[in-house]
Amino acid sequence: MLSISRLLRRFTGQKASKDTAKKRLQFSLIYDKLELNDTTLTDLQKDIVAVISNYFEINKDSLELKVKRDDNVTALVFNTPILQLKRKRA
Amino acid sequence: MEGKVIVITSGKGGVGKTTATSCIGAALALEGKRVAIVDMDIGLRNLDVVMGLENRIVFNIVDVVLERCKISQAAIRDRRIENLFLIPASQSDNKDVLTTSGVERVADQLRKEFDFIIMDSPAGIERGFENSIVGANEAIVICTPDVSAVRDADRVIGLLYSRSLTPKLIVNRIEPARVERGEMLSHEDVLEVLSIDLAGLVPMDEHVLISSNTGTPLVLQNESTAGQAFKRIARRLNGEADLPVQVPVCKMSMWNKISRTFGLKR
Repeated sequence: MLSISRLLRRFTGQKASKDTAKKRLQFSLIYDKLELNDTTLTDLQKDIVAVISNYFEINKDSLELKVKRDDNVTALVFNTPILQLKRKRA
Repeated sequence: MEGKVIVITSGKGGVGKTTATSCIGAALALEGKRVAIVDMDIGLRNLDVVMGLENRIVFNIVDVVLERCKISQAAIRDRRIENLFLIPASQSDNKDVLTTSGVERVADQLRKEFDFIIMDSPAGIERGFENSIVGANEAIVICTPDVSAVRDADRVIGLLYSRSLTPKLIVNRIEPARVERGEMLSHEDVLEVLSIDLAGLVPMDEHVLISSNTGTPLVLQNESTAGQAFKRIARRLNGEADLPVQVPVCKMSMWNKISRTFGLKR
């Protein structure tokens, strides 16, 4: 049954506080699990650098790796300027 | 005969672990099972007062684990409900007196003497929590529909999974009127966030406090909605897995509903 209060909320465009609670929870739970320790992040960074270096020349000091939160997604962001494409040897 | 150890845990304190433990234990005993309720909250015992057995404590769970007495000496028999026993926690010791191997050994002994052993875990995820889950065959996580309890439940569920236990969830203190108004997470919301199976839903009920005031079993009160909900949970644990989960509904008249919606009444 659609309750009166829910109907009223729909008309006024007012948001139920429980929806906010749910959304905040969903994010914090993901974020809690992504709380990586420093060694894991450093290891991951080293591996990624090794792989990318096979194809591109990158500046190893100017790259950054972070867990980014946005309204709808949580993402692992790896950012690095590419200096040059590596020539493939035959 | 080999009994089953069920641990009731939550992470967060004050969400109803002790009430749930005493009610589920009592309800299983009413179903004709031989039940031991074990208070694992060493140093902060509470089940004894909630169950009204505080005057009859001689030995406790620490004495049993450290082999200072036999299980039969520590288990207090409830005089109102047949086949219901409480093994209280120690009030003076600290959590570190118990070892996981000691608790495991006692859990094995208890399985031989009882059909169900319900363990009330302490709040938190430290040593006391570890001790209470080490001998468990099944786990129940309990939470209330608020952000902190749900978040802690998620953490505990993760820890239980890593110990090869697949817990089920009780959502406690549901206030249907507030769920209806969108002020409180519904059980569907909680289940979606936690992705876990349901053990049961328990409404907010004034009888819980009243029965703990006097130390009388909630499940013996037919007018207690929470007591009845715990009874259904116990029946589900006792083999009636298909017994449908009842969603708490609000018993409000149409007029009250309308006036509340328009802000005439709180």
